[in-house]
Amino acid sequence: MEGETVIRNKTDIAIRLAACRARRAVGRFSRSGFLSCVLAACLGVAGLPLAAWAQPAPDLGSDEQREAGRSLYMDKCAQCHGDAGQGDGVAAPFMRPMPRDFTAGVYKVRTTPSGQLPTDDDLARVIRDGMPYTGMPPWPQLSDDEIRNLVYYLKTFNADFSGPYGVPDLVEIPDPPSFSEASAERGRAVYEENQCFDCHGMAGRGDGPSAPTLQEQWGNHIRPADLTKRWTFIGGATRQDIYRTFTTGLDGSPMPSYSITPIEDSWALVDYVYSLSQDEPDYATAATARYAADPVDPAQGRAAFGAARGAYFPVVGQVIEPGRSFMPGVDGVEVKARYNADEIAILLAWNDMSAETTGENAPDMAVPPIEQVVRDTVASVWSDAVAIQFPQELAPEGLPYFLFGDAGQPVDLWFADLASGAGRSYVGRGSGNLIAGETAPSVHATYEDGEWTAVFAMPRDERFAEGAFVPIAFSVWDGFNDERGNRRGITGWYYLYIAPSERPSPVMPMLRAGGLTLLALLCIVGLMRFRRRTPVSA
Amino acid sequence: MNILILLAACAGLLALRFVPKMNILGWLVGWWAATFVFLRWGINPPLPTSIQGMFLAILTLALLAYISANSVHFRFVLDRAVAFATEKKYTVALAVTLVLLPCLVALRVYFDITEGPAPPLSSRTIHPPPPVSIEVAGRMIDLVNDDNPYRALETEDPAAFAEHVANGRRVYYENCVYCHGDDMAGDGLFAHGYDPIPANFQDATTIAMLQEGYIFWRIAKGGPGLPSESTPWLSAMPAWENFLTEEEMWDVTLFLYDFTGHRPRAREDHGGGGDGH
Ligand code: HEC
Ligand code: HEC
Ligand code: HEC
Repeated sequence: MEGETVIRNKTDIAIRLAACRARRAVGRFSRSGFLSCVLAACLGVAGLPLAAWAQPAPDLGSDEQREAGRSLYMDKCAQCHGDAGQGDGVAAPFMRPMPRDFTAGVYKVRTTPSGQLPTDDDLARVIRDGMPYTGMPPWPQLSDDEIRNLVYYLKTFNADFSGPYGVPDLVEIPDPPSFSEASAERGRAVYEENQCFDCHGMAGRGDGPSAPTLQEQWGNHIRPADLTKRWTFIGGATRQDIYRTFTTGLDGSPMPSYSITPIEDSWALVDYVYSLSQDEPDYATAATARYAADPVDPAQGRAAFGAARGAYFPVVGQVIEPGRSFMPGVDGVEVKARYNADEIAILLAWNDMSAETTGENAPDMAVPPIEQVVRDTVASVWSDAVAIQFPQELAPEGLPYFLFGDAGQPVDLWFADLASGAGRSYVGRGSGNLIAGETAPSVHATYEDGEWTAVFAMPRDERFAEGAFVPIAFSVWDGFNDERGNRRGITGWYYLYIAPSERPSPVMPMLRAGGLTLLALLCIVGLMRFRRRTPVSA
Repeated sequence: MNILILLAACAGLLALRFVPKMNILGWLVGWWAATFVFLRWGINPPLPTSIQGMFLAILTLALLAYISANSVHFRFVLDRAVAFATEKKYTVALAVTLVLLPCLVALRVYFDITEGPAPPLSSRTIHPPPPVSIEVAGRMIDLVNDDNPYRALETEDPAAFAEHVANGRRVYYENCVYCHGDDMAGDGLFAHGYDPIPANFQDATTIAMLQEGYIFWRIAKGGPGLPSESTPWLSAMPAWENFLTEEEMWDVTLFLYDFTGHRPRAREDHGGGGDGH
């Protein structure tokens, strides 16, 4: 017989019923009979506080298991989560979201209703798979036993795990029906009905009107997930994961739990979210500049660059030189390019939670080495900005330093402060040594639905010869994140390929190669036949 | 390296042993096919096709040398070739070959032209020889003769040693974890954005085969301190003398070894590497 626990917060009846179904569906947990389900549900409706009767004891592991978990924890986890599990390890000040305070007993990735503790399997899963693109790493190298011991140890940090709430209810995550475009299309309406856009934005880029004001339970600002990049989802990117995310919510963060009925609507919403992004980021190593004879008009924006997705490069924090950026606001930039006889135009596009178009920014602004970003207002002091970097000369010795060049090899920097929208150029001999360049690029930038698009146009010099691979690197500043100067998102060196304007037709070379092979074969065969016919004695 | 593919290729060759009346031609084809399969699918990350082609050309030459070294083999192969080119029963097969081979070559050329060129690859020496001495915060440090000044505490004063390791741990998780990763496997939060990728300290080819002085040099001077064959300007490894004290840098060196369980290479067998990739 199964006891029912007190309803701790906004758990609703639909989830409760689902939980009962789940208990029957999931073999390992199916200790309850149908009757107790109905009973529990009825009592739940009545909202009666329930006495725990015949409470199944939570599984807390043995002393040895907890001790083994403790020593593993002190070795591998305490530096972030703190010796006493309070989320105050030495690395904590440099991470957003902060490492979790386990004494709070609040967990994001759960198969249990909002407000309840996670199951052991939930904890084990999040330890094994980690939370991508946050400080929480995956631990595939730990054995199942080691992870289980860790789970037992984590549970000692909060008394609820050993009390009446220690055996949480389960939310059933049904097998997903197969994906369909029609369902994804319908899901858009469900997305709008439930006002997901308030945080996640109309295009799902995490730029909703509430986004700048959201806070975690622990007091730090948190960005809504960018639904166009599902590889960054902390709870996994499968359709079942997405279903679970909005059905159980991410406790501690502003992401609420929803019960969306009928179930078809839930899956429609899943399909809609799923349809917004591809599986993998597909990071590129080179972008291609195509030839187009007509003059470049930056004001045309994306339309001038064709519909295909550009090359996508990862952007990471500049944590190499003083003024470090441990939590960059931008995690990737898309690049497209085109050229004609005298101009080259490069389009950069990146997702940004909010456009900061007041204040100012520059690549050589001074930044204090240590700076606590405390945000009590959403007004920005620093504007968003972006820069493209090329080596000034292509030297055989190799490339200039990827952080704004070095004394030996300077770089050209094309920069745009998106407050004024005007382009500037710099010559960089290291990040402490930037001087204004001669020609400023003409820049046209727009912000729409959470995406900045900036088109740079410059006269085409001999570096951009047809067929050349020109080294290229990028910097992005998110003003909301107080990024300026050295505090910024960066990329390493990649390439811009200047695809030749005339594509040589493959027909002639093919005919030549095929013909020559045929000729050689015929010669060999002919020779052999000839020798065979004239009797040889040897 | 994909072990399964390698095993499959070996098993295929082994199976040839048991084919009755296997002749030398069969063996040639077998070797060639097994090598092709291994080069094509057995190596991870995949080799560039030009390198694959080079290996196959070398193999072809070697096989030719092998058959011509033995007159019986040579005669046999030649006879078969002549028979194929002249005898009536092979006419159809011969015609097919004459059409197919040129077509394959033409197809190859087509792909080469339409695929477009690949970006240039750069190679670098991962462990160049270290300088003899370096200057850190105005002090000369002799990398050949000076040892980690706190290493001796390991036996002399374990409590003080543990404090240095603990300090090194703080330094690591405040500064290095973003690149080298929480478990030191070179897979930190920002690692995917850098090329060359951050060093993997769990691996036997990094700190396990280096001296502490070498590690200290790399930490203090970072990427920009590398000689030119090691592509100093591509390396994201920061020069930590800009952020940390000398003691902190020695302490984090202790912690790298303590956490991974590796021992620094002893100082008697002098040298810091020179193995390039
Ligand atoms: C490099 C720092 C770091 C290390 C090391 C680390 N964590 Fe975390 N961990 C985090 C951060 C940051 C979060 C919060 C992520 C978030 O809220 O999105 C987190 C969250 C968690 C969560 C909460 C998951 C949830 O569903 O809310 C668990 C459980 C956890 N970590 C367990 C561990 C265990 C066990 C270890 C050791 C094996 C470990 N962590 C090591 C940084 C770390
Ligand atoms: C009040 C603001 C808010 C609303 C409304 C909201 N979300 Fe979220 N959502 C967030 C935040 C904040 C996060 C990031 C949480 C984190 O990383 O801890 C998030 C994360 C997510 C994620 C990613 C989960 C993961 O594993 O990383 C998905 C998917 C998602 N939301 C879907 C939805 C859907 C669908 C709706 C509407 C039914 C919705 N959200 C409504 C704030 C919101
Ligand atoms: C911005 C990323 C980044 C950070 C932060 C970083 N490293 Fe590195 N590190 C690298 C990269 C990339 C390499 C490999 C390229 C090279 O050899 O320079 C490397 C190489 C090394 C090496 C050389 C290993 C070998 O086998 O030669 C050592 C030692 C090292 N790092 C120690 C540290 C320590 C200690 C810290 C923290 C104080 C640290 N690193 C912080 C990126 C980083």
